[in-house]
Amino acid sequence: MNTPTYHLTEIKKFYNSNRAVYIEDLSIPESSITGLVGPNGSGKSTLLNMLAFIDRPSEGTILFKGQKAEPYSDIVRFRVSLLAQEPYLLKRSVYENVAYGLKLRGGNPSRYPEQVNESLALVGLSPREFSNRPWYGLSGGEAQRVALAARLVLKPEVLILDEPTASVDADSAGRIMDCAMMASKEWGTTLIIASHDWKWLHEICGNVLQMFKGKIIGNSMENIIFGPWNQNANRFWEKELEDGQRIRVPAPPSPSSAAIIQHGSISLTSQSPILMKYEHSLHGVIAQLSLEPSTNAVMVSIRAGSQTFMLRISQDEARETAISPGQKMYISYPLSAVTWY
Amino acid sequence: MNYIIDGLFQAIQLLINGDGETYSAVYASIRVSVYSMIVSLFIGIPAGFLMGHHDFLWKKHIRTITDTLMSLPTVLVGLLVYAFLTNRGPLGEYGFLFTLEGIAIGQAILALPIVIALTATAVESMDYKLKVTLVSLGASRRQVLFSTLWEARYGILAASMNAFGRVLTEVGIAMMVGGNIKWHTRTITTAIALETNKGEFVTGVALGIVLMAIAFIVNFSLSFLRNRS
Repeated sequence: MNTPTYHLTEIKKFYNSNRAVYIEDLSIPESSITGLVGPNGSGKSTLLNMLAFIDRPSEGTILFKGQKAEPYSDIVRFRVSLLAQEPYLLKRSVYENVAYGLKLRGGNPSRYPEQVNESLALVGLSPREFSNRPWYGLSGGEAQRVALAARLVLKPEVLILDEPTASVDADSAGRIMDCAMMASKEWGTTLIIASHDWKWLHEICGNVLQMFKGKIIGNSMENIIFGPWNQNANRFWEKELEDGQRIRVPAPPSPSSAAIIQHGSISLTSQSPILMKYEHSLHGVIAQLSLEPSTNAVMVSIRAGSQTFMLRISQDEARETAISPGQKMYISYPLSAVTWY
Repeated sequence: MNYIIDGLFQAIQLLINGDGETYSAVYASIRVSVYSMIVSLFIGIPAGFLMGHHDFLWKKHIRTITDTLMSLPTVLVGLLVYAFLTNRGPLGEYGFLFTLEGIAIGQAILALPIVIALTATAVESMDYKLKVTLVSLGASRRQVLFSTLWEARYGILAASMNAFGRVLTEVGIAMMVGGNIKWHTRTITTAIALETNKGEFVTGVALGIVLMAIAFIVNFSLSFLRNRS
């Protein structure tokens, strides 16, 4: 078996005394595409900064291709690159921004213009039009594409994208997604992508990791329901949604704990709630459907009040129930499927 | 009002006629300013970078002290430097008292907190994303340092201009440490103070206009360079 690109063991990152990330054991294979999802503040960016060797963990070791690596070490300096959510361009022209990494690596300066032009063309920016533009003469989407071009020109072995499409227009987002896939297919680049676009991640990633409170809690979209939880007159613990429905859970460790309902435990039906599989049910509206190529399953997103539930059904099941976006459906889950964080 | 207008004409006359005493003061002012700025920039920019870029023990307290020292009274610096450079002082043997070098030492002490504090502010105002960008493009520690300084160049330029303004226009250090010796340590500011004491307002105004002209030329040149870049 090939040595994985990354192997993380007992990684902890503290800010002051607060633990931001704790990864017990994680391997990321070479040339794979790994997705990272999770709510804001779950530790995604902290983890990505450590994987990009910008920050070092407070405890634990990160092995890069079997070797212990740290920020600025020669093993990783020219091999890993990160694109942040909000691009930062150096106070120079577009050309100088894209060529910066090339200059750090040395090489043949006479080839820089050709390499920069190729990279700008890849991200859909005309070299003639954009090369001499100053950093302040770009829209948000163009700036993000220039930042991506500055990474692609280096043909990195690992490209880490931290919510790359979160603050750009649809056209730029599409280009960024295409370029990431091109890097993976053409150069065998290992991609690690954090995004709220679960649909995109499930389409392209071999493995999608869900983070919550600094930990990896699963390999897919688990349903996280934040407190506060209240105990009703019948001594059931519940949270009331905006539409008046109540999510019932077993007794939480504390009223502010977050409940996790694994998507595999949720049952879906368009029938009356009386026929539901489990004791507790909710109704909602299908918000999104998408095919997950790695499993050939259909990912269903159902909105109940302000809460979105994710679950996975087989294609046959999807055909039988004839579900479509906007349709009213019922979900149920056993209380035993609820875990706490 | 007439003496101000007369002062303007006299300033032009002094400069056109190549008045030796005026040029000696101008030369002394420029020389001590350049000496003190070289020293304060040489020490202040790296120190300001360290303070703005790194976290270390007592950083907040050191920062507060540096910020406070920005408003050091020039007579206090003059007094302290005089105490050190006088024959009885610990550095008396070097003979810097009543020399341009002695004034430059005092002025460097005056400029240093300004350069350090304003450089630290300029570097601090650089987004954390700059470091992320530089490291993720493969920069080494040294390259991160130089690229960060380059990105903060406008802030550092502002720090330098601020310090230069303070140094060029101060009178307390030049008077106390330099002694206002004609043809030797008399700077424009000490000459203005002397002429005013003598009741020679017109000459004082003329020298003041020369001082303003120097400040204008330096600031205008730096602004021109900044706009070109």
